[in-house]
Amino acid sequence: MNAPSLFGTVGVILQLLIVVALSPVLTGLMRQIRALLEGRAGSGIAQPWRDLRKLMRKQRTSPRGTTEVFRVAPLLLVATCLVVTAVAPFVTTASALDPVADLFAVVALLTLGTVALALAGLDTGTAFGGMGASRETTIIALVEPTMLVAIFALSVPVGSTNLAAIVTSGLDDPAQVFSPVSLLAAVALIVVIIAETGRLPVDNPSTHLELTMVHEAMVLEYSGPDLAMVELASSMRLTVFLGLLANLFVPWGIATSASPLLIAVGVLAFVVKVAFLGGCLAVGEVFLAKLRLFRVPELLAGSFVLGLLAVAASFFLA
Amino acid sequence: MSTALYVQLLNLVAGAFLLTAVLILWRRELTAIIDVFALQGAALATLVGIIAVAQGSAELGAVALGVLFLRAGLLPWMLRRAAVAAGATQRETRPLVNVVSSLLAAAALTLLAYAVSQPLVELAPSPSTHAIPVGMAVVLIGFFILVTRRLALSQLVGFLLLDNGITAVGFLTATGVGLIVELGVSLDVLLVVLVLQVLKTRMREAFGATDLDELRELHD
Amino acid sequence: MTTVLISSESMSTWIAWLMLAPVALPLIAALLYGSLGWRPATTWAAALSAACVLSAACGIAVAVSSSGPQVAFFGLLRVDALSAFMLVVIGAVALVSAVATPGHLRVEREFGRADDRDCRHMVLLIQLFLALMALAVEAAGLGVLWVAMEATTIVTAFLVGQRRGRAAVEAAWKYVVICSTGIALALLGTFLLNFAAQHTPSPPAGLDWVDLVAAAPSLDTGVTRIAVALLIIGFGTKAGLAPLHAWLPDAHSQAPAPVSALMSGVLISVAFYAVLRVKVIADAALGPEFARALLVVLALASLALAASLLLAQRDYKRMLAYSSIENMGLLALGAAVGSPLAIAAVLLHMLGHGLAKSSLFLGAGRILQVTRTSRIDRVRGLAAREPLLAGCFGFGVLAIIAFPPFALFASELGIARAGFADGMGWVMGAALGLVLVIAAALVNHTSRMLLGAPAPPEGSVAKPVGGVGVPVPIAVPAISPSPVGTALPGGPASVVTVASPVAVASPFGVASPGTSASPGAGTLPAAPTLPGTVTSPGAVTSPGAVTSPVAAVTADRFRRRRPGSEIYAMIGALLTCAALGVTLGPLGPLLEQATAVVTRTP
Repeated sequence: MNAPSLFGTVGVILQLLIVVALSPVLTGLMRQIRALLEGRAGSGIAQPWRDLRKLMRKQRTSPRGTTEVFRVAPLLLVATCLVVTAVAPFVTTASALDPVADLFAVVALLTLGTVALALAGLDTGTAFGGMGASRETTIIALVEPTMLVAIFALSVPVGSTNLAAIVTSGLDDPAQVFSPVSLLAAVALIVVIIAETGRLPVDNPSTHLELTMVHEAMVLEYSGPDLAMVELASSMRLTVFLGLLANLFVPWGIATSASPLLIAVGVLAFVVKVAFLGGCLAVGEVFLAKLRLFRVPELLAGSFVLGLLAVAASFFLA
Repeated sequence: MSTALYVQLLNLVAGAFLLTAVLILWRRELTAIIDVFALQGAALATLVGIIAVAQGSAELGAVALGVLFLRAGLLPWMLRRAAVAAGATQRETRPLVNVVSSLLAAAALTLLAYAVSQPLVELAPSPSTHAIPVGMAVVLIGFFILVTRRLALSQLVGFLLLDNGITAVGFLTATGVGLIVELGVSLDVLLVVLVLQVLKTRMREAFGATDLDELRELHD
Repeated sequence: MTTVLISSESMSTWIAWLMLAPVALPLIAALLYGSLGWRPATTWAAALSAACVLSAACGIAVAVSSSGPQVAFFGLLRVDALSAFMLVVIGAVALVSAVATPGHLRVEREFGRADDRDCRHMVLLIQLFLALMALAVEAAGLGVLWVAMEATTIVTAFLVGQRRGRAAVEAAWKYVVICSTGIALALLGTFLLNFAAQHTPSPPAGLDWVDLVAAAPSLDTGVTRIAVALLIIGFGTKAGLAPLHAWLPDAHSQAPAPVSALMSGVLISVAFYAVLRVKVIADAALGPEFARALLVVLALASLALAASLLLAQRDYKRMLAYSSIENMGLLALGAAVGSPLAIAAVLLHMLGHGLAKSSLFLGAGRILQVTRTSRIDRVRGLAAREPLLAGCFGFGVLAIIAFPPFALFASELGIARAGFADGMGWVMGAALGLVLVIAAALVNHTSRMLLGAPAPPEGSVAKPVGGVGVPVPIAVPAISPSPVGTALPGGPASVVTVASPVAVASPFGVASPGTSASPGAGTLPAAPTLPGTVTSPGAVTSPGAVTSPVAAVTADRFRRRRPGSEIYAMIGALLTCAALGVTLGPLGPLLEQATAVVTRTP
């Protein structure tokens, strides 16, 4: 139709390409940082891509007794991540799919992926799968409301639940970013994102200890291309969450018009911000021990309260 | 200071004030609680300082310094000393209400504070009065800690939190209550803390612990 | 107000000095005790200072009635008729307590439960406490009043925890935490009231009572409502009203007797004075309904609580403390009614309760010293052993349950009549029912303590309260003359039962030579193993015939002791209380004027 639409389409494609291409690199980067801080050589930041390539070449297998739920879950997981990547304001605020980039829609899509994976874990019928699914469900039950409340708090001053609108308004009025509302919401969101992406101190992504694992327990039965998709999806989720966090609280650099230069700046800014956040997360993880599982609800309840306080503050500190 | 910046800073500090109150409710280790309490004192002093700069009042600036000294310096120092004297690292292991419920209660109390403070905000709407609910929320959270914690020091922190909240409301309502009253209030708070410290020491002599669970002698 | 006096200048200077006296004299006495300590030379300084405070109160009353309210010291102090009346209450109760203190401390020292340092601290802190209370009622505004009230908490904390035992420290901790919290709520209320006062159409008012009352009609109702609720609950805490009353029974039961007397007679009355002042503002700003509803709730809750906990009370000091909660409930009820009759009755009740309750606490302290137990069921037949003490205590309880001719009869009648006249019949009916229950409980417990046969000795000594065990309970019955026993129903029987334990104990008394302070508990467990026939027949039939030397020495100690100064204080307080019930005398006009201050009728 017209230029913005073309620009939007370009933006969408760019975002998809960048997130898909760079999210395994982000995971690799974080592993590398941890390795260096722990005094190991590390396997390089491209290792996740090499792993994916290796897994993709393998034969597809599925455990006996599993149903379609098990086979569809990885696809669904990747698909939801792709949709969110396409609509969320990462590189540009003007996505062609702008109306979809609604706060509730995005959170619902991400939850859909998690639920699919939890169902797949149950579907295998093994003890680990069920255990992982039940733990994941506990966490998600506390995480989703917090996330909704925290982003809702950000949307109150803007008057819209559209993510692009929230980001744009942050650009127009930088004062808004440094308000108690953002402060409280940011703390809440950080806690929630750590829980949702299965990082320390909620879940340890590199453990296979039955007492502690959450995410890994669910995907234990996957192998080959299915596992590759699950791994890719979890990298993408991390990237998506960090990207959302970055752009909601530090929106500068995101492209607001179709100029190629601005888009280039947007890409660069996005990559830098996400890499920086990922680095911080990795550094933090080195110094943290995993919380005991029954202390996790405490942490999440705390973040929920902060989210709620953010909403309250957005009403009374006008 | 421009009005926009003033509002911005005021709100930011108010947010930090509330956040520290929630963190105190959240943490179990006494030393961490005391550290956060010191942070809150600093936030309160900053709040007063911001108001002082906005009003261009040197007197209020001096009060801000006093608040900083008392609530971010002296009181946390005394609490820390008491915590060290109490020996082994003390933790609030079994509060009467568990931490998750306390946190949810804190959320409810904040909303209550918001509802209760409406007449106050409406009487004289201004950026500072809009932050009154934050002060009220801290008062209620302090009261909650006072009621639900078992360790003597945690109760003391609860009382001081209550007092911080009241002081914040006092400054946010922007009503100088007179220097004598102000001094009297600060002195009284300090003395209450001192008295409670002495009592705590005696309690340790008499009971061997400062877990208030031990306080079961007197009842009907 | 125009003064009719010739030189208004010198007049106001005089009044300023007069106003300074109730604050300054106790401070001077405190200095005296601080520097010289508690010794024979300083024994009566406290009583002197209290008497001077009382005289100054009378002087202020005269000045106020002749030339209206007086302001002094840069407007920080202001007295009107209500302040003068409260000063009378403070002075009177302080005098009672000060007269009793020497007797109380003498016995405590003999028992080794207080050394010179404790005595000095106690009298010093009591004087500081009185100075602060006087400052509270003379304060011109809410701010100074608040500071004085909170400082009182700090000063009295160590008085409550003086004994340093587990129970005393616990009571002190609860006292400081609960009272400080309550007072902190009052501070929040003060801030909010000030906030409302700053935003009136008229020029902003400060925290002075006069300004606040004048500005009250234009105060924002929403803010004032919150402020008043916080202030009434906050000061109500300190007055021992229901929701935050928990400190009161503990603190009153653990504090030394003269301190309990002061707390019950002065501290909670002054806290209620603050409630009355707030009510004046609330009525002017919000109409009478708001404060009335709040006070009725607090009053009924206090009464119900006192009634429920008095029924099965086992500790007589706590019994008296709950009775204080009840009386505070009645005061709140009277204040809720708010008519001139009710307020006059409330003020009279404050004074009457202060006198009667302080004498009761002094009596309870003495009973504790004599029997070494604060359990009601372990104090039996006190009338047989200590007739004077038992008589005073009994009359004190009669006074507190509002028997005529005591002042409390007149005041409770006044509150009830005012309530029924004001259309609060249901509330009054419920309150009267609760008061009857409380009176029945008090009479029942007291009669068990005073009348009947003394408790078996193993009960009374088995649990020494602390310090050195003294064989008081054994020795006392030995000397209690039988004529007193005959004055009681079933007298002779009681005398016989009194005698037997003494006779059993006396041979053992010989075995432990010359130590009147030898632990009584050591001799007693053996008693049941001995057959009753060990006693000489003469000892059973006539207690006076006990000839064991040690028992005689112990007995002599108690026979020769003059009745402690507590007894004089109690008699004085009760006689005053009774006299006030008959006629108010010169206090009448002052009461009238003070009532006018609260009801704001000219």
